[in-house]
Amino acid sequence: MRFYLQKVLFYVVALWFAVTLNFLIPRLMPGNPVDVLISKMGAAGQPVTPATRKALEIQLGTGGGGNWFGQYGQYLNDLIHGNLGVSLVNYPATVTHVIGQALPWTIALIGLSTVIAFLLGVGLGMFAGWRRGSWLDNLIPATTVLQAVPYFWLALILVLFLTRWHQWFPYAGGYDVASTMPGVSLRFVGSAIYYGFLPACTIVISSIGGWMLGMRNMMVATLSEDYVVAAEAKGLRPRRVRLTYAARNAVLPSLSGFAISLGFVVAGSIVTEQVFSYPGVGQLLWTSVSNNDYALMQGIFLVISLSVLAANLIVDLLYALIDPRTRARA
Amino acid sequence: MSLSKKRLFLGATALAAAAALVLTGCSSDGSSGNSSGGATTITLFNGSVGNFTENFNPLLSTGAELQPSQGVLYETLFYYNMARAQKPVPVLGTAYSWNADGTQLTITTRSGVTWTDGQPFTAKDVAFTFTLFQKNPGLNTTGATWTATATNDNTVVLTFPSTSFTLEPQLLGNMAMVPEHIWSKIADPAKETNTSPVGTGPYKLKSFSAQSYVLTRNPTYWGTGDEAPKVENVRYISLANADAATSALESGQIDWMGSYLPTLKNIIKQHPNLSYVNTPDSVTDIVACSNAALGCTGPQTDPAVRQAIYYAMDRTQLNTQAVAGFAEPASAALLVPSVNGDNIVDQANASLPQTADVAKAKSVLEAAGWKLGGNGYYSKGGQELDLSVNVVTGWTDYDTDCTLLQGQLKPAGIKLSVNQVAQNAWSQAEVSGKFQLSLNSINPGASPSPYFIYNNYLSTSNTAKAGESATTNVSRYSNPTVDAAIKDVASTNDPAKQKVDYGVIQAQIVKDMPYIPIYVNQALTQFNNSRATGWPTQDNLYAFPEPWKAWDNGIVLKAIRPAKG
Repeated sequence: MRFYLQKVLFYVVALWFAVTLNFLIPRLMPGNPVDVLISKMGAAGQPVTPATRKALEIQLGTGGGGNWFGQYGQYLNDLIHGNLGVSLVNYPATVTHVIGQALPWTIALIGLSTVIAFLLGVGLGMFAGWRRGSWLDNLIPATTVLQAVPYFWLALILVLFLTRWHQWFPYAGGYDVASTMPGVSLRFVGSAIYYGFLPACTIVISSIGGWMLGMRNMMVATLSEDYVVAAEAKGLRPRRVRLTYAARNAVLPSLSGFAISLGFVVAGSIVTEQVFSYPGVGQLLWTSVSNNDYALMQGIFLVISLSVLAANLIVDLLYALIDPRTRARA
Repeated sequence: MSLSKKRLFLGATALAAAAALVLTGCSSDGSSGNSSGGATTITLFNGSVGNFTENFNPLLSTGAELQPSQGVLYETLFYYNMARAQKPVPVLGTAYSWNADGTQLTITTRSGVTWTDGQPFTAKDVAFTFTLFQKNPGLNTTGATWTATATNDNTVVLTFPSTSFTLEPQLLGNMAMVPEHIWSKIADPAKETNTSPVGTGPYKLKSFSAQSYVLTRNPTYWGTGDEAPKVENVRYISLANADAATSALESGQIDWMGSYLPTLKNIIKQHPNLSYVNTPDSVTDIVACSNAALGCTGPQTDPAVRQAIYYAMDRTQLNTQAVAGFAEPASAALLVPSVNGDNIVDQANASLPQTADVAKAKSVLEAAGWKLGGNGYYSKGGQELDLSVNVVTGWTDYDTDCTLLQGQLKPAGIKLSVNQVAQNAWSQAEVSGKFQLSLNSINPGASPSPYFIYNNYLSTSNTAKAGESATTNVSRYSNPTVDAAIKDVASTNDPAKQKVDYGVIQAQIVKDMPYIPIYVNQALTQFNNSRATGWPTQDNLYAFPEPWKAWDNGIVLKAIRPAKG
């Protein structure tokens, strides 16, 4: 029990810290949203007069606002009530609404591809470790090279080959807007999978190497343990030795790495979403930063920090279940 | 977990992964059709990024309103074309007149117009809309006061406390008319998202989703013949960047977009259906924090230094290398010659030196007391001629300009360091006056009239001390002669009298040069002619053709027609 209490207390402190940083960081950025808006309006050929600044300040409510302490109190109070404020870029839409629009896309794309990359990587790593020196083992340098290649470059090359030279895949978007509407229909889901396939591929290709290498090395280390030798000496079937004796122990470090990457899923991938014009959180974050939309930035950062914390908490607790040693030591 | 359960779990994941792969394989022959039921649908990309948030409130100016709200769904009284010199075009208004001292504006409104919900549009709606702007300071971007009354079903009279000729384009050409029977029930119009828009425009909303929305032809639109919309549907989409937009254009999936594409001429050559228009947009210039009296510091506060930069730059090289030769020559009067040529009084100010004149630059500096040092740079009173220019990272044309300028100014003994910053920091530096030079552009105001440019960028009332926020006159320029002339322009609507004042202003700015003009930045617009034709062309700029331009959008959409039949 004490173990769980300690964990929860730690996460409460971490949460407060994340929430406070989240309040401070956007305010340390230069510029203010009204200036950005005015320079955009000017560039779009809309008339700008001194009164325009005043009107925009009234519209966006950025004129006064009190000191930082007052703002901080207000911010905490709003958070407790689940109110993330109003997005300036999308005024008067609320931050919750705007993030809600983007989040499903990111979770589906980045989440699924992270899970696929993990399962494939760990699975292949297991076999590579089991049969050292086989062709599978020789695949590892190739996958790590793919991981070392800058991600944006890999993605752009794939876009050039597979959407421009050969128009096998769409170059942008989350689904075919001309033929279907979002909803529970086979057509929409099919279209969304088709549109998400290439971005998902790039993520899998560029991250599988790490999982594979980590799992393979842990597998090799575990296989030299005495209990594996004992299991083999008992005459257990190789398959059983591989899965329940070697792999179960070897997968532990990868599992905690997986938890962290799952936490970052909601952050989306700014680069992926930029390259493929994918309508997710990464692109939203980009827009909010370039428009000094504090409320939206804070909302996104909050969602990211919460999910990283939550993913870690869950894995911490799960870990204690999978590996009793951690619980005993705490 | 027991062995059998574990096996089951692994098996299930493998099955799921396999199923996902099969599904993707099956659907990869996804069809892409752009027409629905035979009716023409055109697709346009106006620069939107990411998800759309549903907001069709035409009274806003924050950019949160989806752009077709202004001009396509809702209309103004008149239309002001920024692409060429042209009289205001009647839209919901048919005529207007000022009284002699500019305190009363009488507008005749169009009859026979109905809102898309079937109610008639009358002068009462117009008076209501003007009063609505007046009652909501957050919506009234003019900051002016007026009273609006409908004297009968077709006449509205606006009364102002003082001479207000210069408000004309803002009131007539930049305020969307909304129906009284709907908006009088809305408590806070600034917070309204107006998801079922009722307007008078050529199109109305058909369907909306966060990634695309469709407008359809308004069957009860007031215009007939050439004035009636002919293309059935218009689809708006969003893309993340210019690469995706290029792909969309080349694969024929976009009919109308406006992006700067350096390889545009090649793309057009390979795709006979595509065409483009190059429209003068704004004057690219180096803004100098020019006024030491208002707190600017650095060598650029000396007019001779600004003059020297003016002569030392090679504008031909800047144009060819930074913007692929798409720019046009600007004028020393800071006006776009092809739009405002008539208002440039002294023809000597109508053009700029297109090549570098290093000798002239040097002589200007030497006449002002600068001495050439052993390191090849000028200095005066122990201060070296060392300037820094701010430019936004990632605005590739501006970045190239700055890099080139660095090399061009060196032979003239001027040291330039380029300071690439993020857009927020760049605009904050300008607004607060904490910069030396900054690459920006001079944008026109509510109408092509030079008044708006001169008032915004030169008048003392629009500036502030360095350290405080200046509205639009970020160079901190302040000149009583110019201020008096600007005031004089505002007091009359006689073009001949105004032109005399423009001459006075131009003589001063050519001498003082608070903004050093480079070239006229051109806006490139791309069209696909296979589904619709009748787009604006270089010879017939009946509207500013960019798809992101408010009000002009509606004019273009009702001018185009389906390509076949």
